[in-house]
Amino acid sequence: MLRTPAQVRAAQLSLAVAILLAWELLPRLGVIPKLFVPSLSEALGALVEYRAEYLAHLPATVVEILVSYAIACGGGVTLGMLIASSPRARRMALPVLRSAYAVPMVVLYPVMMVWFGLGMGSKVGFATIFAFVPTLLTTVAGVASLSPNLLETARAFGASRWQRILYVQVPASLPTLVAALRLGGALVIVGVTVAEMLGAVEGLGFLITRHRTLLNSPGVYGGIILVLVITSSHEVLLRRLELRVARFREA
Amino acid sequence: MRWLEPLATAACVLALFGLWEAAVALGALNARIAPAPSTIAPMLVELLGRGAVLKSLGVTLKEVAAAFLISVPVGFFIGFTLAEMPGVGAVFRPLVNFLFGVPKSIFLPVFILIFGVGVEQKIAFGVFTTVFVLILGGISAVESVPRELITVARAYGASRWQVIREIYLPAMAPILMESARLGMIFNITAVLLAEIYGARDGIGYRIAGWGESLQMPQLYAALAIVATLAIAVNELLQQIENRIGAWRQRPA
Amino acid sequence: MTQPIAHSAVSVRGVTQVFTVDGQTTVALAPTDLEVPPGQFVALVGPSGCGKSTLLSLVAGLRLPTGGALLCNGEPISGPMPQRIGMIFQEANLLPWLTATENVAFPLKLRGVPKRERLEAARRMLELTGLGDFADRLPHQLSGGMKQRVSIGRGLVQDPGVLLLDEPFAALDEQTRMVLGDEVLKIWSSTGKTVLFVTHNLSEAVYLADRIIVFSARPGRIVDDVPVDLPRPRTFSMMSSERFGALKDRIWAHIRDADH
Repeated sequence: MLRTPAQVRAAQLSLAVAILLAWELLPRLGVIPKLFVPSLSEALGALVEYRAEYLAHLPATVVEILVSYAIACGGGVTLGMLIASSPRARRMALPVLRSAYAVPMVVLYPVMMVWFGLGMGSKVGFATIFAFVPTLLTTVAGVASLSPNLLETARAFGASRWQRILYVQVPASLPTLVAALRLGGALVIVGVTVAEMLGAVEGLGFLITRHRTLLNSPGVYGGIILVLVITSSHEVLLRRLELRVARFREA
Repeated sequence: MRWLEPLATAACVLALFGLWEAAVALGALNARIAPAPSTIAPMLVELLGRGAVLKSLGVTLKEVAAAFLISVPVGFFIGFTLAEMPGVGAVFRPLVNFLFGVPKSIFLPVFILIFGVGVEQKIAFGVFTTVFVLILGGISAVESVPRELITVARAYGASRWQVIREIYLPAMAPILMESARLGMIFNITAVLLAEIYGARDGIGYRIAGWGESLQMPQLYAALAIVATLAIAVNELLQQIENRIGAWRQRPA
Repeated sequence: MTQPIAHSAVSVRGVTQVFTVDGQTTVALAPTDLEVPPGQFVALVGPSGCGKSTLLSLVAGLRLPTGGALLCNGEPISGPMPQRIGMIFQEANLLPWLTATENVAFPLKLRGVPKRERLEAARRMLELTGLGDFADRLPHQLSGGMKQRVSIGRGLVQDPGVLLLDEPFAALDEQTRMVLGDEVLKIWSSTGKTVLFVTHNLSEAVYLADRIIVFSARPGRIVDDVPVDLPRPRTFSMMSSERFGALKDRIWAHIRDADH
């Protein structure tokens, strides 16, 4: 029954509609307590009702995201490229990075709060650390899988290390770079939001926690929807970028 | 000369700690918020001797283990089902991918609304976060089984069970193991996050408490304990993964 | 016209195979008849998509025909008969997590033969195919030719009466192909097994076989049945003889026409 692509599409759409319907109806009918999951319309209603509040706190979150993005992703990718340009550095760094990846970075947030207080600094600090190692690891591991022939050829033509990095490694690693940004960016957004949830005076995460302590679950879900909008937009943007880069590579 | 590299790496890490120590001694780092490693080390020993701390650690470990033991079979089972039923799988795939891309941490407040701050909430949140990694791993593992090998087994008279035991299981084992290892990383992170956010016990709860009361040596010592345990568990799982996957071709 | 002989090693009678995918019907094999006497070396050639590999998988019992019947020594083929019919695939398809020995022993394991017995049988088979020193290697440590040798060993380990080879040397370089081809001939001539050998390579077909069945495409059907009357044992120099060339021309004429 689910053979042709058209049928699969139809089924997927039905599934999506069914889920949205369930989200709307089950809480309304009392099957799921409204405290746990408010109906879709209530969550969206909260967004509308509290829009002034959300808009007021949004800039803080956005600024924190942008700054963390620049440091964590920019720094992670750059450092990653540098490390990857030397096989020896790569061999030494990878085990350390892999172990660091296993450490739950969330435990560093209390440290950040001590160092930077409840303001934006601790959010940026935390999100940066949260996203830095995965970005770095993705870059180093991804560049390592490049064909060594390209670099060898460049070296044969007398290219210096910087030239090799800029003119061969970077263009050839663009897909890896975009993948690293995609991962790092997602982690930055999550890191900022979580940090705000854990202890802050402003921001989307702060609002979510506040609504939670007031047992205002539509407010909580409204905030979650906003964060999801941000992560989805980021994801879509980077997917587009990935496709653009892939096409450029074929050329 | 290659064998020197791990030593050099270790030396670099030690050097960083040395720098830290020196910075505090010289006053460049505020000892109140970043105490020297030499003060953290004895505190570490002391913490490990405190019964209350060990009890908290035990609570966390139990939550992590429980969440993991639930997520693995559930996640793999769902993954296998989605992979083995191509029609159903195709319909649910976008949903699974979408859900995987959604950051689970932001749902933590919802879990508190539903479960409160007890142990069940930590386990539930851990499962919620981890199960998607394992679903994707299960799907990937099934899809990685080369169809030709199934044909070979059938040509030589294998029954359905024999195909599963002799072809599917060995082929899938490395990917399942890797997925389990990744899942554990997510799992530990989720449980600790939940403890820091709101809990009655657990090492994450204690870390948050020490942070609030500015008891920095305790805080850093606890961080060291958590980091060491996390790395140790990861290493163990990695070793198993390497052993199981030894037959896979090493990338050139 | 082939006359049905009592106890052909392989009988194909009125076999058709039709595939239906997404509402589209393809006739892979139009009604086909073939009788293979015991001990004959038969090559199946034809363009891609002409049904020769499909026929092989039908004989192997990996699928059931849409119509008609297949028999092995008079018995209907309704599923794989690994002790009577051994199959060797194009890609060696060794299990990458098993050593060469364990791979050869695999059919015996499926049958429940105890470990020591089956590993010994496998080791002996590896000695025969010249891979004794590589018995404990994993497939990724073996060259393409060695892997195919292991695959041949695996097909022979239960001493089946019929051997099916589906373009076994297609992925190998020419030299290895010739060496392995000679080895297959050696095994065949010393054991008297019946061999069905699918190949794209016309020289290979004429060099190896007693008889060449030529298929045409869409729908697949037999368009010629060519006896190869070159003397045995075959030698490399025969490949430049006139007779060899004439046989190749005859086959090629069918294939070339079929592409129109």
